[in-house]
Amino acid sequence: MEETLLTLDQDTTCTAWNYSGQRLAAGSINGTLAIYDSKDPASSSFTCTSRFKVQETSILKIVWVPPEFGDAVACICSDGSYSLWEEVVEDADILQWKLCKRFDRNSSRVLDIQFGVFATCLKLVAAYSDGQVKIFDLLDPLDLINWQLQAEFQNVIESTSKFGRPSCLSAAMCWNPQRGELQQSSFVLGFNSDIPQLNSSKVWEFDQDHQRWLPVAELALPEDKGDQVFAVEWAPNIGRPYEVIAVATCKGISMWHVGSNHDPNGRLSVERVALLSGHNGEVWQMEWDISGMTLATTGSDGVVKLWQSNLNGVWHEQALFEPTS
Amino acid sequence: MPGMTSDSGDHSTSVVPISPNPQPTTYPLHHGLKPPIARLSISWARGNTLRVTVLRQPQPSAANGEEEAGGRVLEVKLSDNGDGEIDDAQWRRIAYGSVTPFALLQSRKNSTSTLSKISALDSTEWWQYIMEYSREINSLLGNPKPSPSLAIEDQKTVLKDVQKPTCFKAAWELMEIFYADQHSQAWIPERLLDWLADYDCLFSGTQPTVHSELVNFQKELVTRQAVEDHPKYWEAISSTLAIGWLEIGVKLLRLHGSYDFDQLGSRETENGLVEAVAVLISKMPRLRADLGADKLGECYKNKPDFVKAWEKWRAQITKLDCSAFWLQCEHHQTRDGLKNILQTMLGNSTSLSNATFHWMELYIAHFLYIRPFTAVVLAECSKSFGSWMMAHAAELLTAGNIQAEMLLQKEQFQLGGICIEELNRLVYAQVLSSHALTWQIAPIYLSSCMKQGMGLLETVLSKQALQHDQVLLKSIEICRLYELGTVSSNLMKITAVHDWKHGKKGSGVFWLQQARDEVRLNRIAKHLFDFVGKSLSDDSFKQWEGLIELLGPESGIAGGLEFLNKYREFRRSLQQVHSGTATDAAQRAAEALISLMKNPSTPQRFWLPILHDSLKLFNWAGRPLLNVSQTNVLLNKLQELSMARLRPDFVNADLPPEALNSVRLAIATNLGRAILEE
Repeated sequence: MEETLLTLDQDTTCTAWNYSGQRLAAGSINGTLAIYDSKDPASSSFTCTSRFKVQETSILKIVWVPPEFGDAVACICSDGSYSLWEEVVEDADILQWKLCKRFDRNSSRVLDIQFGVFATCLKLVAAYSDGQVKIFDLLDPLDLINWQLQAEFQNVIESTSKFGRPSCLSAAMCWNPQRGELQQSSFVLGFNSDIPQLNSSKVWEFDQDHQRWLPVAELALPEDKGDQVFAVEWAPNIGRPYEVIAVATCKGISMWHVGSNHDPNGRLSVERVALLSGHNGEVWQMEWDISGMTLATTGSDGVVKLWQSNLNGVWHEQALFEPTS
Repeated sequence: MPGMTSDSGDHSTSVVPISPNPQPTTYPLHHGLKPPIARLSISWARGNTLRVTVLRQPQPSAANGEEEAGGRVLEVKLSDNGDGEIDDAQWRRIAYGSVTPFALLQSRKNSTSTLSKISALDSTEWWQYIMEYSREINSLLGNPKPSPSLAIEDQKTVLKDVQKPTCFKAAWELMEIFYADQHSQAWIPERLLDWLADYDCLFSGTQPTVHSELVNFQKELVTRQAVEDHPKYWEAISSTLAIGWLEIGVKLLRLHGSYDFDQLGSRETENGLVEAVAVLISKMPRLRADLGADKLGECYKNKPDFVKAWEKWRAQITKLDCSAFWLQCEHHQTRDGLKNILQTMLGNSTSLSNATFHWMELYIAHFLYIRPFTAVVLAECSKSFGSWMMAHAAELLTAGNIQAEMLLQKEQFQLGGICIEELNRLVYAQVLSSHALTWQIAPIYLSSCMKQGMGLLETVLSKQALQHDQVLLKSIEICRLYELGTVSSNLMKITAVHDWKHGKKGSGVFWLQQARDEVRLNRIAKHLFDFVGKSLSDDSFKQWEGLIELLGPESGIAGGLEFLNKYREFRRSLQQVHSGTATDAAQRAAEALISLMKNPSTPQRFWLPILHDSLKLFNWAGRPLLNVSQTNVLLNKLQELSMARLRPDFVNADLPPEALNSVRLAIATNLGRAILEE
């Protein structure tokens, strides 16, 4: 039933596929990045086309840049910094991966970054271990070198809340996958930290009139608001009148329906339609399929689960994949 | 794919539950790595292919001498070709062959106006369309014919070498008989017999059937007394009734011990019940013109009469089921057995399921006893045959069946407003998209889904691997066909940026123009300005020239391009001058220079660099290349420039500090020589 596409070296820490599933980036414990390509769409054999050093520290996570801006990846390293690398062919026809931008570690480590295509420009949202969230704009559409800090805030509803210095273990974020030209892009963000107000997943939208980011929905029941969030994933919407977002916390995986119309306060209506058992522990990753009807998850129980909704809208575990030798 | 379970109690239109709470199926993932596994990560690839990366705890590669694999990337195809009966190549053949009949039927449906739709559905023409569709698809479902030469050589072959049919074909023909073929409604049993003869071999040897169970039971009948004590007896009766072998069922019933002369006295009630059931069975309404002499049932030639009789018959069964006599029946096996038979006759799906051994028998049972049962057929189809059947058989099931149509086209709020018919097509399209060789036919199914088809098509297109030319061109073509301008533009942008960054700048500009990406084109044009006033290698100059030419007059910054074009002319002519000493070339270069400097679109910041480049022209050995008025123009420009340099926002060109003086001197010299000439 399964087919082996690639065998990875023993120093591999993480992998990431590009938008079309034709290129794989694999990071290693000594800071090397390897790129694997497949010859044609029908074949399932991959070869390593590039290998280069990103940093002296281990690579924790790789995120591909949206393809409209080039063949490029962002690497998050264990020293808390991250950098952007792009594949180019210069004169003399040599293919190489070049460093475009390094975001050094300041006082805090970066926990996660995600790219969002916003009208015609590229945005990068980064979450840090001190609870800060920064949004960067790409200034030049053909170069990944110049980024400008556009906004900086914390994942709280009341912007005037005061609390002590947060310590965050991880952050989870996901942009709305909708690709409409006219649409304002929004993203959902949650934290795993020691400050309850930071944790709950909130949907952030850009308010053009006031030129700032506003939280328009909170995806947590009143009694769950302080729960640590492990993962969030926004489902592709191919024609539903509402959005579906999956949120994984210590209590399990919740499915949320988010309405499209703003109420007089500018907020969106939310409804939790399911609470699934999850993985008896920490959920590592969640991925929606292209139709937004099947959710694949992995967690610390070491299995892959598929979740679907039946015709009555009831979510259940559809299949389970158990790795065996 | 969303499962078909339901809690609603209305059996006539609800989706019948197949299993109350389906347990998740567990699949093993063989990775071949040495345990323990530290991390899993997942990614969806084309269609509904799932990729899983299995990683062990990472270790620096220098640590171990032995090369142990650190991880594996696995690909799982969650596809559904039934139970592997059909191989990949054949499945692709079926998938491709189904497209035209499906598309034709859809376009015929769409061209029928909504008002006349209901009457149109009953028209003869419409039934012809359905049968045409059904036959076309049916012809795809057989096995490929064996090559003729084999038959000739093998002289021992007596039987005609009939190709082994597939379950898909059997199921399709069954549905055609019951739903699509208007003319066969009257003689379904005959059709069924023919059908059973064709597909009997599908049963052979692999699993128990009603027939084989009966044969086994018959052996036991001879040796047994009081058959009614044995559960197999009752099971056999239920089974024969389920598939319509009424005569055998009644015959078995009449073997009941209560008919024995010495039992009649004490088992009156029991016998009464058995006989009542036997009579009911023999009076089962049959929708056909006539029956053979020894066949049971009552014939009705037309549907309204049949339906009335059917309802009456069912009412009689229900009445018997509620009768007080059951309490007086002491033989509990008889009571339970007969009750179960009544349930079978009433069309209880669990009873029918238990009474039949194979999906085909279950189908026939459903056909005979449950009307309508579209939902069950759908559910069975999905379980046994997968998404292809679901997507294509729906057309047969809804033909002339308003109720079925309503069931399939009802908007399901819980799924965001999509209907089952569309959902089936979406799922099938997703399966098609999972294979590199079949994704291109997915759009045809998606375009027939009003609600969510286009959305999924856009997503499928935007995930194609565009660095392969064929894929790119095919994707753009599909966008054009379905008027997906934004998606098309996006695909072109991706290609453009990829080419631009990979040394194919010309191709990059071409695709940006096709995509009408003004933002990036302007950025490129601005980038070209950077080369003004700099010395370029021949290759770079050629590339720079080429880009300007490509950008052409269509770029948004028309004024700027005009300047770039003139500058290009000027640089070209300068190059020719540098390579030789011919005065003609130099003269042309001088003309170009004047044209450039006079042009209002030439930005001021480039004046000095351009004049600096032209030093050789001013100091031309043979004769002054510029006349007095031309030289004056240049001097005026220089003056303007000197004034401008005093302003605070002036940007100095990247030239040596004495450049301005050298230029001024050279032009003045030229002026002197020009005056002398005149």
